[in-house]
Amino acid sequence: MPPSSIQTRDDYRYFLGLQTRWMDNDLYGHVNNVTYYSYFDTVVNMFLIELGGLDIHNAPVIGVVVESHCNYAQSIAYPDKINCGLRVGKLGNSSVRYEVGIFRGDENEVAAAGHFIHVFVDRATNKPVSIPKEIREALNGIAIEDAS
Amino acid sequence: MTNFLDLRINDFGYQTEIPTRWGDNDMLGHLNNVVYNRMIETVVVRFTMGPLAIDWKQDQCYPLVVESLCRFHRPLSFPETVTAGLRAGRMGGKSVTYEIALFGEGNEIPASTGHFVHVFIDRDTHQSVDIPSDIRARIEGFA
Repeated sequence: MPPSSIQTRDDYRYFLGLQTRWMDNDLYGHVNNVTYYSYFDTVVNMFLIELGGLDIHNAPVIGVVVESHCNYAQSIAYPDKINCGLRVGKLGNSSVRYEVGIFRGDENEVAAAGHFIHVFVDRATNKPVSIPKEIREALNGIAIEDAS
Repeated sequence: MTNFLDLRINDFGYQTEIPTRWGDNDMLGHLNNVVYNRMIETVVVRFTMGPLAIDWKQDQCYPLVVESLCRFHRPLSFPETVTAGLRAGRMGGKSVTYEIALFGEGNEIPASTGHFVHVFIDRDTHQSVDIPSDIRARIEGFA
């Protein structure tokens, strides 16, 4: 997404509230850049578990990350509460591009925005497979127009 | 467009070794994706403190990350030691893009490639400023 178009809450379809932790802040006194990726990781998996029925311990098909990206616009810092917004920007046969916005407290504009690409693979063979039906339906539910 | 899998460690002027830890693996048995990003940050920080001689506690301007990207090509796992390579990519007036690759033990093909963009911020005004000329010259040595 172009950095010039600032994303707001209306741009996302699923939200997860998180409490930042003491250890999230680095020496600059703000949430460390890498920590945002753990928020991405968390919102994506919570979505897959809650709405896609993903069984992270036993599912025969799992999502592996092939790309992650983040633009950092405004800082957040412990003890802020944050909201992680999620939508599906592209849905292929075996891959999905999630787009994530991190909001500080009740703010309407993103503090950071990025993406996260999963390829679904067979847990045993590690080969890409079609996205399981229940997960695909959940992903369709938060997909932007022309995601397919 | 670069075929990232063709990159080799010797394509990178700055190299550093990063050990993995037990807790870096997630339940799928490989380094968690966040840890790759941590390693990318680590090679950048070592580069800024070493070859660039930046003192982020004292210098009038300090680097701040505004963008990062990581592509995951093949898994890395504890207990292997990762070799990270860095070179300078695009440099603007106030920002620089570092290009980075992570290599696992005994494998010449990168496990991960990505980039990391720094802008330089004035300690007093908190505004972005031109990259100081001495730092710019040192970065250019790794282009």
